[in-house]
Amino acid sequence: MRILLAEDDIETAEFIERGLEELGHLVLRAATGLDALHLASTETLDIIILDRMLPEMDGVGALRRMRAANVEAPVLLLTALGRIEDRVEGLEAGADDYLVKPFAFSELAARVGALARRLPVNVVPTELEVGPIRMDLLKREVRRDGEVIALQPREFRLLEELMRNSDRVVTRTMFLERVWKFHFDPQTNIVETHISRLRTKLNEGGKTNLIETVRGVGYRIANGG
Amino acid sequence: MASLRSSAAYRIAFAYAAVFALGIALLGVAVFYAMHASFVRELDASLAEEASALQEEYRTGGDAELAEAIAKREAVDTRDLSGYGVFAASGERLYGNLGRIAPQLGFQDLSVKDRAGQPDTGRAIGIDLGHGKRLLVATDLEPVEQIDRTVITLFVAGFAGVVLLGLIAALVLGGYLRRRLETLRLSAETIIAGNISHRMPVSARDDEFDRLAGTLNTMLERIDQLLENLRQISGDVAHDLRTPLTRLRNQLDAGQSILEPATPSQTVIARAVAQVDEILALFAAILRISEIESGQIARRFEQVNLSELVGEIAESYAPAIEENGRTLLWQVEPGISARVDRDLIAQALVNLIENGQRHTPAGSKITVTLQRSDQAAVVQVADNGPGVPETEWPRIARRFVRLDRSRSTNGHGLGLNLVSAVAHLHRGELTFADNRPGLTVAIIFPAA
Repeated sequence: MRILLAEDDIETAEFIERGLEELGHLVLRAATGLDALHLASTETLDIIILDRMLPEMDGVGALRRMRAANVEAPVLLLTALGRIEDRVEGLEAGADDYLVKPFAFSELAARVGALARRLPVNVVPTELEVGPIRMDLLKREVRRDGEVIALQPREFRLLEELMRNSDRVVTRTMFLERVWKFHFDPQTNIVETHISRLRTKLNEGGKTNLIETVRGVGYRIANGG
Repeated sequence: MASLRSSAAYRIAFAYAAVFALGIALLGVAVFYAMHASFVRELDASLAEEASALQEEYRTGGDAELAEAIAKREAVDTRDLSGYGVFAASGERLYGNLGRIAPQLGFQDLSVKDRAGQPDTGRAIGIDLGHGKRLLVATDLEPVEQIDRTVITLFVAGFAGVVLLGLIAALVLGGYLRRRLETLRLSAETIIAGNISHRMPVSARDDEFDRLAGTLNTMLERIDQLLENLRQISGDVAHDLRTPLTRLRNQLDAGQSILEPATPSQTVIARAVAQVDEILALFAAILRISEIESGQIARRFEQVNLSELVGEIAESYAPAIEENGRTLLWQVEPGISARVDRDLIAQALVNLIENGQRHTPAGSKITVTLQRSDQAAVVQVADNGPGVPETEWPRIARRFVRLDRSRSTNGHGLGLNLVSAVAHLHRGELTFADNRPGLTVAIIFPAA
């Protein structure tokens, strides 16, 4: 994928670039908001990673201009620690996701992966299928090998997130943001307890475990089966 | 009445009125005596004149002439107490109608019975006619007494008027002082209630109250500035440490991906990452609290169904709490909603639940309740653990305060401080109560 990385701190930029290149992406770098805007409107890009604070034109300003110029690539906004306003402003300006700095690279990789997989807005799936599991999004029903599995609404949402991102890691913070709408980091690992309950329900009757734990990062459901 | 007694303004005004009344009374008494003495002197002068006229009669005509003159005078005088008497050296009365025995010489007060038999006082003069013979001329004090009575009546009436006026003036003055002070007090209360930017009203009169208000405002300005500096500094420190810490974390992250998995060096780096993350979490909390305290987030409040939110959080936490060997119960009154920041209310409740778990022994029970009380929503988290002594309640919501017994547990000492900041942002408060046993913590804030 072609990824635009707009980050003015050279060390952080190099760290992200190296990581993305290792994953096989092509990274274009911009050090100012104006550079980022220029590259976004002239290059074909799959994803834009935009720092909130950039010289010349800040990230949110650049993002607004990009959206005004019909740049449609998904944008991941990097916001500073402890700034609630940044997140809200960024999402309002047209960001698709945000990540609070500093972050583990695996977290960024997971977000980039999820953004790349995002379907166009006009396509609304009504059914998801991963391996033996079928999820009916309209009837809110989950079947494994044709058998209905009764899930709590929250467990349903967890599984939905995993299935939408099959073969990719969904991190703990991604679950907290999407299932619980928590934009802070609680100390108790509620994701873990709920995943383990979901697993128990899915594996009932001694079936193979489908939800894989990626240590220190999150969870993944494999499509291969 | 109690409020009048407990008011310095009224006390001062009444004391002033009382001193003023006392002054008037003293002046009145002095004037009265001076006037009385002056009348008596005048009376004495006319007595002396009369006596010397009679003495003259005696010198020219002897006893016969004097007796005739006295008889003539007594015939026209109808006053109750007046008269004349001439006495021999032996004290025996020779003529005249005064029955006094052995008169003294000079001016004197007489105490006699009048014609109606009532005791009365008079004034008299005794003079020596020679050879031990004495002449006594007396007159009634009634006219002086009458004037005295009139003066006293007038004075008492006047005094009552002055006291009444003084009382009215004291009430008005006291009320005025109180009103001026009350404006200052109410302004101070407004500031205490959290409206930090409120100031004392200053009028154009520029009197001492206005000058006091001005000085207080300058003081508030200064305190405000110091507080702002403090906030700025803690924010700045955290902010400036953010970039180097980000780099440090990135380096460690990169190191982790280079090293072979499951080696001792991996473990060391993983531990370092965990520690950096702890520092970052602390900074995140400091920065978040500063941001909340700045009050800007209040602009983004939206209507949130609190019943749903609290129920959801309790439900989500129950299994995790159970895995930690404690029980989470919840009781949520339906249909409560308010204009809030959903994320902050969630974080506050999560902090309270996590505190309840962290500071109680295994087997404890944690109860989350949401209820409406008047126009307020009450989010309450109670546990039946060891509790917190009441004397510590005011301290535990402060920044970085950790009770000695909790130093061994996790946490950075900002959890309750954040909850308190969230409560204040929502124009509410954080309260503590004894759950006997255990601690009850509640966030109370206005709800529609």
